[in-house]
Amino acid sequence: MEANAMYALSAALVLGIVGFGGALAQGKTAAAALEGIARNPGAQSKIQTPMIIGLALIESLVIYALVIAFTLAGKIA
Amino acid sequence: MKMFIALISGLVSTSALAAGGFTWLGGIAHSLHIPSHTVTYAFVCMLFLVAGFVYRAKASSIEAGIVPDRGFSFRNVFESFGDFMYDLAKNIMGEKDAKKYFTLLITIFMVIFFNNLIGIIPGFLPPTDNLNTTLAMGIFVFLFYNYQGIKVQGVVGHIKHFLGPVIGLAPLMLIIELISHAVRPISLGLRLKGNMEGDHLVLSIFSELVPYLVPVPFYALGIFVSFIQAFVFTLLTMIYIGTAVEHHDHGDH
Repeated sequence: MEANAMYALSAALVLGIVGFGGALAQGKTAAAALEGIARNPGAQSKIQTPMIIGLALIESLVIYALVIAFTLAGKIA
Repeated sequence: MKMFIALISGLVSTSALAAGGFTWLGGIAHSLHIPSHTVTYAFVCMLFLVAGFVYRAKASSIEAGIVPDRGFSFRNVFESFGDFMYDLAKNIMGEKDAKKYFTLLITIFMVIFFNNLIGIIPGFLPPTDNLNTTLAMGIFVFLFYNYQGIKVQGVVGHIKHFLGPVIGLAPLMLIIELISHAVRPISLGLRLKGNMEGDHLVLSIFSELVPYLVPVPFYALGIFVSFIQAFVFTLLTMIYIGTAVEHHDHGDH
């Protein structure tokens, strides 16, 4: 019972914390890219690809936490 | 014959699936004792082969191969994928390497994209939400770019990549580079798997809450995520191969 509560709590907390960090980072990435595009619309295609790579790399960290959250949630008996 | 009977009985009996819910191909998977993601993967690849043959037949004669179709057609859809991927590869790897690795890249992209996309159809689970599928792809990419790196640069040249630009920092860089390379197949596999699984989970939760209309935006999101994840996987493959085979001549002059 104790352990189950801990598993549930940690599974939720993992995603909450990592979602916070990931959202901040992705917001910053998107903001910087949009600012760049707004200043120089011609560079849109050149900015977009690195931005998507960056977003994917940030997101992958969040996804790792999601996998951990799934394993933790799976342990709830 | 035995296989045939099993296949037929698999097709007609889907009630054998107590756990996990109904899927179109679940009966076959169950009666042949094959994991269901493998069956779906094989199914997608079969569709894909048929589509490839149809495309090949349409573009077979020289005249038809050069002159593109008018408007929105099956062939134009296929060629737009090719165009898109080739332009991207050209930007990242340069024209020569893009030509060399184009077949691999477009195969990876289309296989992942269509495997992701089949999850949109109700009653299908995307094979890419299973770590066995995605990790296999990731490990393949890892082996491939190391093989290409050794083939193009030689063993010494490939190991030089791990040592960084400054010789004094080489021991430190070696450790960092080895870890970052070893993590690549895992991160490729986990990213794809996690995204597809998460996306499917969101969709299933919302369709359970409100079955009508509300899940529609999540289907759209699903298509978008399918595309983006296939795109990211291919892009990272491109970058890995590109950095493994690029010729840089620092330190020589």
